[in-house]
Amino acid sequence: MNSASRKTLLVGDNPFHGISHLSQERARNRTGNADSVTEKADVVLTAIKNGADGFMFSVSDVTLPILKNMRERNEVEQVELYAIVPYAYEYVRIATQKGTPGLAKRVAKQIAMSGNVGAVLSGLSAVVQMNPRSLLKTYLTYEVSRIKSSAGRKAKLTSLLLHEVITDMGLALNFDWLFKSYISYLSERDIVPGFNTRNFPYLVRKFKEWNLDLEETVIATQFNKAGFQMNPSREECEKTLSSLSSPIVVAISVLAAGYFKPPQAADYLAGLENLKGVAVGVSTTKQAHDTFALFQERLKNNHARQR
Amino acid sequence: MGLLHASLLNVFSEVKLVALCEKSALMNRLFKRVFSTTDIRIVDDLEKLRGLGLDAVYVTTPISSHSQIVKDLYAEEITRNVFVEKTLALNYNQSKELCEIAKNVGGVTMVGYMKRFSVVFKKAKEMLRQGDLGEPRRFKAYAYSSDFLGLTEESKSSASRGGALSDLGCHVIDLALWMFGRLEVRDVLSFARNEAGSETSVSFMALNSSGLSGQFDISQSMPGYRMPEFGLSIECSKGKIEVNDDRLCLTLDNDSAQRKLYRHDLNDGVYFSIGDPEYFRENREFVDSLLGNRQCELNFDNASIVDYVIDQVRGRTGRQ
Repeated sequence: MNSASRKTLLVGDNPFHGISHLSQERARNRTGNADSVTEKADVVLTAIKNGADGFMFSVSDVTLPILKNMRERNEVEQVELYAIVPYAYEYVRIATQKGTPGLAKRVAKQIAMSGNVGAVLSGLSAVVQMNPRSLLKTYLTYEVSRIKSSAGRKAKLTSLLLHEVITDMGLALNFDWLFKSYISYLSERDIVPGFNTRNFPYLVRKFKEWNLDLEETVIATQFNKAGFQMNPSREECEKTLSSLSSPIVVAISVLAAGYFKPPQAADYLAGLENLKGVAVGVSTTKQAHDTFALFQERLKNNHARQR
Repeated sequence: MGLLHASLLNVFSEVKLVALCEKSALMNRLFKRVFSTTDIRIVDDLEKLRGLGLDAVYVTTPISSHSQIVKDLYAEEITRNVFVEKTLALNYNQSKELCEIAKNVGGVTMVGYMKRFSVVFKKAKEMLRQGDLGEPRRFKAYAYSSDFLGLTEESKSSASRGGALSDLGCHVIDLALWMFGRLEVRDVLSFARNEAGSETSVSFMALNSSGLSGQFDISQSMPGYRMPEFGLSIECSKGKIEVNDDRLCLTLDNDSAQRKLYRHDLNDGVYFSIGDPEYFRENREFVDSLLGNRQCELNFDNASIVDYVIDQVRGRTGRQ
């Protein structure tokens, strides 16, 4: 594969959560951002109208209402959904306030109250047997049902991605069963299993060692000119990317959290071989328009220009 | 934190993860199933770590249990080398006792003040040492989070984590000790605690041996701090440094331009990262110290001074 392939463009949700990896001060001081659910949905839909294919988001109380809003406007079906679970920040916050047992009780209660009979029954069985594979399936059933109940049955849940903290701990602890169970569960439901990681070359090595088919997955990982959050180095990540036999990688943190302007980021990404797509967060409808028009021009039309 | 350290250690080629100790019956049962495909042993009592020939043990339990666990590790001869998550102990008396025992045992010790392994804080210390900024004249330090903002119910978790000073403030106290040397608390400016008796916010003044004064502001209920943030603003005779987790701003009196350095500019990559890269470097330091049979800079002795400062603050507010 090469850079001439048509790339998937996704709107990221970090600005909706008040996240800036460049500076927390910057995140706190952001003004003029979309505050209401409707305004956030407007940002996503403006990006879609300007070349984005989908929305990459953490499944949370901030993003689920955005899906619901787009559904009520009959717009959600045109948006490919790339959902990241779990929303680690919220879980860490609850664990900080209530302790780990408090977090476990809260999640169990949420699953029980979700009304998803399948999740509740399999959850009870999983808890009794203390079976981690069953617990994982119960949890995933619960998260998928949350997305579907907000976005509607007709929404395109293209991929469910495992949050980087879980992915990276699983890699480090050699939990091949976690990755195999995750891939198996989602593949059976026609959802592309995805993994968010800060250790892309390590993940690729481990998947090969475990005989897992990378081509069946989506990998969301950092790619930016500064090498920010690219471990062990930008060079190693680029080398691993070009070694893949098909494009499965969605580049995230492409602006290195605001360190680069979109044109600089687009120039760097256009030169990368083998990317499947790019996710970029925007805060306002103007940014959505300008950024995705630019990325569409530089990345999606790359193929036509090179011909 | 235990799983985070275990994960990072497991990617080091020189390290073999041998056992995890989890006392909760529920979690112990779950861990046995989760780790069933590995050869990592899951035990429910410290005593069961005896005889495993462990080179080192990580203690990542609530602060209130650190002292007894570390004493048991030494007494039962489970290991000579111990890493303890911050803070070393519940108070300075306990810390002093652990320092004494560790000294007699003679192993390698370390306390998890991971902010020292941040590229930005390290750069700030390096700039102070180089002397272009002249002599430090005063500093302000802060540690803020929104973790307990708006919580009206009493939180056992807050108490078990040690309150704002031990859970959050200890990091910035350690950074100040690292940069300016030993500090003596002079005044507590404000103090608030929750129903469980642990601090939610505190502000105090301290002096180092050269008379350099610093003000500390610590709060776990500060609006707008989605993630905990730590920072120092250091006024020197020839300029000023403002540094936090994300960036460093340098202003020299003879140059109106401000120089900003972000993590991005400071080679922040590591072999394997979970959370922040600081955790990897911290574990690397401990493992390298073990392999090189040398003491860590953040050994029990040095880390216990944080508990000394915290005790002084608490002593002035009637809580110890």
